Amino acid sequence: MRYDSITEAIGNTPLVRIDPAVHGLRNIDLYAKLEMLNPFGSVKDRPAWHMARSHLEAATGGDGTLVELSSGNTAKALALLAGMHGVRFKSVTNRMRVPEIKELLLLIGAEIEELPGRSECLDPTDTDDPLTHFHRALSDPGSTYLHTDQYFNPRNVEAHAEGTGPEIVKDLDGRAPDWFIACVGTAGSSTGVAKVLREHDPRVRVLGLVAHKSDFIPGIRTIDEVHEVGLFDPATYDTIESVTSDEAIDGMITLIRRCGLLSGPTGGAAYQGTVRQLRYADGELDGTGQRRTAVFIVCDRAESYLGYVRQRRPELLGRTAQERSATAVTDAEARAEARVIGVDDARRWSAEGDPRPLVVDLRSPHAYAALHIEGSVNIVDEVFEDLLRGGLPFSKRTPVLLACPVGEKSLRYAAALKRMGHPDARSLDGGIIAWRDAGAPLVRE
Amino acid sequence: MDAPLYLRPRVDPPLAALLSDRPFLHSLVDVLGSPLNVLLPDAVAENVARFRAVYGRHHLTGRVYFAHKANRSSALLRRLAAEDPAAVGVDVASVDELRHALGCGFTGDRIMATGPKDAAFLWLAARVGATVSLDSPGELERLSGLLRAHGLGRIAVLVRLSGFEYTSGPGGAGTRLLSRRSRFGTPLRDTDALLSALERNAETVEFVGAAYHLDTTGVEEKARALEQCVLFMDECRARGLAPRALDIGGGFGVGYVAEAEEWGRWTTALTEAVLGVRPPLTWRGHGYGLRNEGGTVRGAAALYPAYRPTAGPGYLDELLSLPAPVLGRPPASLLLEHLHDLHIEPGRSLVDQCGLSLARVLDVRPVDTGSGQYLVQLAMNAGDMSLEEHGVLVDPVLLPRGEAAPGDGEPVGVYLAGNLCLEGDLITRRLVFLPRLPRAGDLLAFVNTVGYAMDFRAHHAQRQPVARTVAVERRGESWHWCPDEDYWPITPVGEQSDEV
Repeated sequence: MRYDSITEAIGNTPLVRIDPAVHGLRNIDLYAKLEMLNPFGSVKDRPAWHMARSHLEAATGGDGTLVELSSGNTAKALALLAGMHGVRFKSVTNRMRVPEIKELLLLIGAEIEELPGRSECLDPTDTDDPLTHFHRALSDPGSTYLHTDQYFNPRNVEAHAEGTGPEIVKDLDGRAPDWFIACVGTAGSSTGVAKVLREHDPRVRVLGLVAHKSDFIPGIRTIDEVHEVGLFDPATYDTIESVTSDEAIDGMITLIRRCGLLSGPTGGAAYQGTVRQLRYADGELDGTGQRRTAVFIVCDRAESYLGYVRQRRPELLGRTAQERSATAVTDAEARAEARVIGVDDARRWSAEGDPRPLVVDLRSPHAYAALHIEGSVNIVDEVFEDLLRGGLPFSKRTPVLLACPVGEKSLRYAAALKRMGHPDARSLDGGIIAWRDAGAPLVRE
Repeated sequence: MDAPLYLRPRVDPPLAALLSDRPFLHSLVDVLGSPLNVLLPDAVAENVARFRAVYGRHHLTGRVYFAHKANRSSALLRRLAAEDPAAVGVDVASVDELRHALGCGFTGDRIMATGPKDAAFLWLAARVGATVSLDSPGELERLSGLLRAHGLGRIAVLVRLSGFEYTSGPGGAGTRLLSRRSRFGTPLRDTDALLSALERNAETVEFVGAAYHLDTTGVEEKARALEQCVLFMDECRARGLAPRALDIGGGFGVGYVAEAEEWGRWTTALTEAVLGVRPPLTWRGHGYGLRNEGGTVRGAAALYPAYRPTAGPGYLDELLSLPAPVLGRPPASLLLEHLHDLHIEPGRSLVDQCGLSLARVLDVRPVDTGSGQYLVQLAMNAGDMSLEEHGVLVDPVLLPRGEAAPGDGEPVGVYLAGNLCLEGDLITRRLVFLPRLPRAGDLLAFVNTVGYAMDFRAHHAQRQPVARTVAVERRGESWHWCPDEDYWPITPVGEQSDEV
């Protein structure tokens, strides 16, 4: 394969059979359309290019800005395409909820505008949503924005009607599958593919998957939110079902660990929703000798969703829900074992001690820079914790005075130092706050 | 008829016990008339304790200031005045609120004066040694002039900031978090003039810290504002000023509806009704701000998010635990490490579960033949109970006058109309489902509407009676009551005491 441009690598993604031993359906062949293998990593590469191509080719070298409402894959694809054509890209979003995607967008060079949240004290005169304000700003005369408008642009649907749908038919030897399952975000892929499949065979059943109402699955809308999408037409779907984030992660883990497909949670939701939905149909087929085919879409890859998984299922990443401290001192043990010193004694000790103690301030560098005990060194608690994992960071001949805001963290570290064999580590009782309240001097640098 | 779409209220223990004593509530309305507001002063203290527990968990010091505007009650204010002065204060936004707070037992040093201020308000605040939250350099100059002209002592001031939008990252690439524009406070980028004015007037005002109030449910926006204020206060320290308190305002929210499922079902049904795929569930197909544009829903529902998984103290805890965008540490650590006190000004969430509003049913009739829907007219109007104005959707609890026979009646959809001769005087424009059809003489109890909905705007229109307000207290097996204005935390409710 030799290409002149990366855009030529968009589309023609593989259709891979899922091992029946994994999904357990006896009479249905299940295939995954691996949209995650598009060059920018997702199903959105197709509509992004299809919607933006004419804008970008016309605008090359100009000073326009491509703008889209997206917090994820469409933004990623458009930002890369815009960059290739010397055009700026701005993503406007209700909330960037996946931090890795946000950082990736920044790396690509996108600008991100996050819209404000809902009003707490209701203003009944303000019933326009932020998106309506946004659309109004774009349609201002003299606006230089090129808006791809993925939720309303028919070229979004067209990209799938011309690409994704025909590819599925071709790979199934000219037949449409009996079921097609897609998660509904912009409704572009489900609408475009369904249209093509039904032209081939009007009996194809289309299942749309949405996120459970109070849940969040990246890239999928909830049953209320789909109604805000211009491309969404309930008639496209024979059934609309909801999936939870738990199911999405379960499905994602199955695809990754058992099928070798490095899918993200949206693909996981599609898989899990598919199997859940088809189990009944599969049972009906038992003993009839008939075989059926189903296709679902794997939208994107896993890597960007580690934070999402970490937050919801930390055990999958080898973590416990509550990280245990490396120094492993309980509060009770700290209180029993650690040496504390009151502010007055600490002042005398640090001024007249022989040798004088090393004062360690465990707060963040910013707080330390703003105000601290003169002569103290700053080692942030997290760094200090790491240091202790490696061993005793001070000479046993150097007494240590540990200080944190209220004397709680320093107490635990004083106990840990004692356990590690340090003869004279003390915690400042009441912390820097007690020090200040006693009128003891704090300096600024 | 479709399955009833309930939005049943969250009712916590003390309020639940009160609600279950139907004869007592009926007797109150018989004597004092409908509408009637009933307050539980002890519940406000309980809420303070919950907020204080969050402070404790994060080792933070500072005050919980009750935002007086949420409720004009004397009983609530006096109950709060009896709390630890170091922990509880009151935030007043007018000279009358200031007088009321003083009259209820708050000393000046526990009072924060905020909002638009006229000369009388500023003078009285200065006279009693309240802390003044300043909106602008101009207000600071006016205050200083007043202090000099009347020979008043130096007073503590906070500066209220706004405009926390920022762009990060080099070369135009970066993140810009938009904020709803606020009418209040000095934009962060214009604080130079404010700081110069503070330095210039140092002999009249003592600069004690910064404040913000953001009208948003978005916790990230608040975390960002909080961090920006901490950075601003560092800048102040670098200039030789010594601020030590950050007031993060209120807006912690209240969960009115008990079940997430009911809230989810109702809001989905609203969207479907707006799209025309199900019958309307509001008076004349009102969409609460949603509209149908060619089969697509546009606009935003003007509704308070009535079911909330975290509200009040839980919301504060969440805010204090989020990582801040620039420095990466959670706001609680930022405050603690920079040695700042935290002040909060909850209004609505401090009066959560503090009471209920009662209205007597005047008349019940079908909306039209065959609709199965009824119009229930109440001895109360939309001004007494401004649920609609605040977008709060929650079902009232039906308190029948007599004993209902078992299996007495079926669930029914009703519109709740007020007692004014106005087509628009609906208590709620939503079809409200009740477990059975009410009768004239029954009571409807709007639970937990004390914050805002009870008397934010209650008025004397059309000479209809304005809601009386009473404070109630459980003693042994029975409830005792007294008029709101007669409540004192040192005297058992409903008794006179000469003892000191």
